[in-house]
Amino acid sequence: MNLLEGAVRPGFRAPDAGDFVFPSIFGDSVLTTKPVVLVFFSVILISTFFIASSRKALVVPSKIQFAGEMVYGFVRNEIGKDVIGSEFQRFVPFLFTIFTFILTNNIFGIIPLIQFPTMSRIGFPVSITIFVYLTYHFVAIRKHGLFKYLKDMCFMPGLPKFMYVILAPLELATYFLIRPLTLAMRLFGNMFAGHLLLILFTLGGEYMLHDKLIMQLFSVFSFGFSLGFTFFEFFVQCLQAYIFTLLSALYIAGALADQH
Amino acid sequence: MASKDEGAFWNIISYLIAGMGFWGAAGALLDNFLKTQIFVFIGIFLGLFLSIYLIWVRYVRSDPGNLGK
Repeated sequence: MNLLEGAVRPGFRAPDAGDFVFPSIFGDSVLTTKPVVLVFFSVILISTFFIASSRKALVVPSKIQFAGEMVYGFVRNEIGKDVIGSEFQRFVPFLFTIFTFILTNNIFGIIPLIQFPTMSRIGFPVSITIFVYLTYHFVAIRKHGLFKYLKDMCFMPGLPKFMYVILAPLELATYFLIRPLTLAMRLFGNMFAGHLLLILFTLGGEYMLHDKLIMQLFSVFSFGFSLGFTFFEFFVQCLQAYIFTLLSALYIAGALADQH
Repeated sequence: MASKDEGAFWNIISYLIAGMGFWGAAGALLDNFLKTQIFVFIGIFLGLFLSIYLIWVRYVRSDPGNLGK
C-alpha cells in the first residue's frame, strides 16, 4: 500500500467530449476546423485514388487498378448485387460513395499525425444518414406510390385485425425514426468510443511515465493496450463502414420489395 | 446468406427499440396526465412483448426454416 501511496497525483484529466472539439485552423470559420478539413482531404484522396486507378484501364490491370477494382467489385457484388437483386446497378454509385467515404474518414482515426476519425463528430454520420433516408423513402414512393407504401408498411397480411391498431405505430416508428437513428448513432458511437479509448490509454501511459518508477513500469501496459486497440480500431472502422453500407442497401432493397 | 442475417439482426434491434420506445412513451404521457407512475412500466412491457410478437411473425412464422438454426 505504501508503494502506491501518493501514486495517484491529482491532475490527471481523463479525456472527455471536449477532446473532440477543435479550434479553427485559420480565422474562426467553422469550415476550417480539423474534422471539416479532413472531410475535404478525404474527398481529394478518394477522387485521386480512383481516378488514378481507372484512367488507364488495361485488360491486365496494374497494381493500383487492381486495388481500385477490388474495392469497387466488393461493393458492387457483395453488397449491391447480393442484397438489392436485379435492380442493383443504379444504386452501386451511391453505395460505393458511402462506403469509400466512411471507410476513409474512419481510418483517419489511426493514421499517424491525422489520428481523428471524422465520423466521431455526430454531424457527419447524420448528414450521410439523411441521404440514405431520403433515398430509400423516395425509391419506395416512386415504385409503389405513397399510399400503398404506407399501407404495406402498417398492415402485414395474416394478423388478427385488432393487432394492427397496436402494431402499426411500431412499424411506422421503425421505418421513420428508429432506422435513421440507429444508422447514425451506431457509426457515431463506435467511432467516438474507439477514439476515446485510444486517447485514454495513450494519455494515461504518458501520465504514468512522469510518475514514480513503479508507475513507469506499469505504463508499458497502458501503451500496450493503446497499440492493441489501434489494431482493434482498424477492424471496427472497416466493419462499421461495411455495416453502414450494407444496411443502406438493405433499406433500399426493402423499399423495392413488393411486400415489406 | 450472411449479409441478410446481419440485416435481420439490426432490424430486430430496431423493432425492440421501437416497441419499448413508442409504447413506453405513450405510457409516460398517460402517467403525466393521470398523475400516476404505473403506465410507463406497463407501456414498456407491452411494447417489448409486441415487438417480440412482430419479430416472431416476421422472421419465424413467415420462414419456419429459420427455426432449426
